Amino acid sequence: MRRFTRVLFAVALVLALGTVAFAAPKIGIMTGTVSQGEEEYRAGEEMVAKYGADRVIHVTYPDKFMDEQETTISQVMAMASDPEVKAIVICQGVPGTAAAIDKVREVRDDILFLIGTVHEEPYMMAGKADLLFEIDQPARGTSIVEKAKEMGAKTFIHYSFPRHMSYPLLAKRREIMEETCKKIGLEFVFVNAPDPTGEGGVAGSQQFILEDAPRQVEKYGPDTAFFSTNCSMQEPLIKSVVKTKAIYPEQCCPSPFHALPNALGLKVENKGDVPYILKAIEEKVAELGMQGRIATWTAPITMNFIRAGAEYAMDFANGKFEDKKDIQRAKFTLEKVAGAIRIRAFDDEKAPNFLMVVGESIIFGKK
Amino acid sequence: MRLLQKNIVPIVFIVLCTIGFHYSGLSWMFFANDLMTRLARNSFLVISLIIPVLAGMGLNFGIVLGAMAGQFAAFITVVYNLTGITGFFLACVLSIPFAVLFGWLTGILFNKAKGKEMITGLILGFFANGLYQLVCLIFIGWIIPISNKALLLPSGIGFVNTLDLKIWQYAIDKFYVFKLKGITTPLLKYLNNINFPVLTLIIVALLCTAVYLLFRTKLGQDFRAVGQNRHIAEVAGIKVDRVRIIAVIFSTVLAAWGQLIFLQNIGNVQVYGSHVQVGTFAVAALLIGGASVSKATIGQALLGTVLFHALFIVSPLAGKNIMGSAQVGEYFRVFVAYGVIGIALALHAWQRLTKKE
Repeated sequence: MRRFTRVLFAVALVLALGTVAFAAPKIGIMTGTVSQGEEEYRAGEEMVAKYGADRVIHVTYPDKFMDEQETTISQVMAMASDPEVKAIVICQGVPGTAAAIDKVREVRDDILFLIGTVHEEPYMMAGKADLLFEIDQPARGTSIVEKAKEMGAKTFIHYSFPRHMSYPLLAKRREIMEETCKKIGLEFVFVNAPDPTGEGGVAGSQQFILEDAPRQVEKYGPDTAFFSTNCSMQEPLIKSVVKTKAIYPEQCCPSPFHALPNALGLKVENKGDVPYILKAIEEKVAELGMQGRIATWTAPITMNFIRAGAEYAMDFANGKFEDKKDIQRAKFTLEKVAGAIRIRAFDDEKAPNFLMVVGESIIFGKK
Repeated sequence: MRLLQKNIVPIVFIVLCTIGFHYSGLSWMFFANDLMTRLARNSFLVISLIIPVLAGMGLNFGIVLGAMAGQFAAFITVVYNLTGITGFFLACVLSIPFAVLFGWLTGILFNKAKGKEMITGLILGFFANGLYQLVCLIFIGWIIPISNKALLLPSGIGFVNTLDLKIWQYAIDKFYVFKLKGITTPLLKYLNNINFPVLTLIIVALLCTAVYLLFRTKLGQDFRAVGQNRHIAEVAGIKVDRVRIIAVIFSTVLAAWGQLIFLQNIGNVQVYGSHVQVGTFAVAALLIGGASVSKATIGQALLGTVLFHALFIVSPLAGKNIMGSAQVGEYFRVFVAYGVIGIALALHAWQRLTKKE
């Protein structure tokens, strides 16, 4: 009888410990709402569906993230206050992320932070977060301009505003674009547009693009390539480009799902079906007579940041590996979801955990 | 009934916060600590609004300029690497000349636009932001040389968008942290485990006392007299324009310090964004505390800060849990938070009407 009690006790103990040890670890995902960028939000939802609502906490940062950094901080803190949350993926890393990471680290230093699309100063962020994914903006400085030339552009118009030009990577990209234009014989024109987080809001800057792009075509002719650094400007920009038969080499955040379907009036039912959307855009572009004038990347890159980020985070939470900055694994995970991409570190010595990605390009209707 | 009518705005907010807290599913400890942090970092800014209100200039949206002054001082300490609590207090001292200059200019402008100070202040904030960007993005590194290239954009002109303030982060917040433990008294036991940033709270308390005492001096009485009726004050021999300028300068200097306290808690400065929201949020907090454009007390400022931030802590998660979707939660939060600020203004108008009757 005594032996039986002992066995029973041992079994109970194992069970009790087991439940504690195997209480399913969670990850947190923070994205914008659909009004800032639909792709990230949908990718976040997709992760909740994939791993289950009990394993993934999905929250959003404020639409007015520039003004409400304290809310961003509180949201991240609230996720970290759940002891089962072992990793947090933030995409995009809007201003306030650095402060939020600091605040969390003060109470919990075991949490993994993975940031996609970094808004704040890269070296500082590389020191704060464990892993960072970013579109290779400096490399795009050459690739976009070269692509524009290939598409027949003689002039390259770059829309942006002071706040974006204070982002080190975007400022650098602009410089590289200007140099590349000079080198390969394009005229580079910088046009200042109203900041969508300013007084006029998103509507104000969209209206500006709708009015200004045709003006520029009148001035420089239809062989003008248009590029803007801001997400909310892409849709009006594509509409204007189609109207004036100008050239559109790439979005700010290249993806077949970003702004293109809406601007071209395509219906997207499944935000993950890449071959379908590429085909639909191809057909529409031909119908509009814009062959060879519109291009993008074949992979929706920010969605893939979240997919890869969530997978990496989940593996970490499940205890599959311990090193938070496992760069090889991160590269492998990103390649697995995004396919043919090129990855390099922002700075091999000082920021090896800051990974920058260039995707594959597609020019629609190109013979 | 009178009491209810008089305090309807804070009461509405207390009810909303309680409901929100219930649905947010946050633990009391997280909520209380977050609220304490936010109270410590924001109350100074809100209190800086009181003097212009009492001087009859309404809610001073111009404190955005004060925040800019604070940030200029912060940049200087970063460039010269002035660390720790000395660095922080030096930043406070360095912010004074900027803030006095900005406050003086704002005051002159307000005197030209008597009766429309609020809208003038709001627009002035936008205008000043343009100038501020010009200085930080174009003049820095070009006209104003900076030795530390890590602070500049790759082209060597203009600050990067985020500057780390590690050098004096928590200079006063963590100077002495007090934590209650082991209290068993029924109601007070909820105070266990909350981190009190003692020095910050002392500084806020000192400010409250200073404002209180100020209104018992000759200058303070002048503020009030001007606030009640400009013409009578003028007849009584008070130099109205001068008094109004002094009120704005006080407010701007306090806002500069308030912004520095805010930044030392956050730990980095968004060069192009940290100051933008200061005016509207501080004004909203003050209104929620039950203040109006013509009457405000220290108690209302503190209560308003607590309620405004309590709502901002609970509303995103409450919205998410009630609506069952993360982004609807965000829209819900924006709707509730800004909606009630609108209601607060409407309720004030209603109160004034009933008072007249």
